[in-house]
Amino acid sequence: MSEAKHPHDMGGEDGGPVDTVDHGMKFWEKQANALRNTLTSRKLVRIDELRRAAEDLGPRYHELEYFERTTEALRSVLIEHGFFSPEELARKIAEVRRRYDAA
Amino acid sequence: MTLPSAYTEAPARRFGRGDRVRVKQTHPPGHRRTPHYIRGKPGVIERVCGAFANPEELAYGFDGEPKRVLYRVRFRQHDVWPDYAGPKSDYLELEIYEHWLEAA
Repeated sequence: MSEAKHPHDMGGEDGGPVDTVDHGMKFWEKQANALRNTLTSRKLVRIDELRRAAEDLGPRYHELEYFERTTEALRSVLIEHGFFSPEELARKIAEVRRRYDAA
Repeated sequence: MTLPSAYTEAPARRFGRGDRVRVKQTHPPGHRRTPHYIRGKPGVIERVCGAFANPEELAYGFDGEPKRVLYRVRFRQHDVWPDYAGPKSDYLELEIYEHWLEAA
């Protein structure tokens, strides 16, 4: 039965200790959250899709931190909808990085 | 016992309050929101929550139509967990869509 089981489906398993420390949010995490909230509130993507895309990460789901996971899920869904291609995104990231490094 | 309800209309439905059901024992691929631990377990319909867009379709970018009837189902903890140590009167309530339920 485990083959169809996704990372979120852990009810009944030993969850280990709960981290109750508030880690705050990094600047990029706030930006990523704002972008995600804007896209879902305008219904350009649905929260159901984002959750599914996060779970599609498989074992990587547990390797990534929360905002890395949700941002990667957002990337997947935006590419699925054709808002941009992986190549266009890579070009844009390179362009922004050059600008950032120059500053 | 009366609890506040977010009931919305679901006129066409298979089950009503008090009906005995069983969660389907199936493990299909795709984005399913019925926990694995509850599949195959018997329960009783506690309330009809209403009809909602199907989240298994919304998850892939479709509109979730036709809507599916959602039920709150009450399970005995002893039925859910073989080694449950608590009292017999302990229950677990989960909201499960109609297409995951069969009459028991």
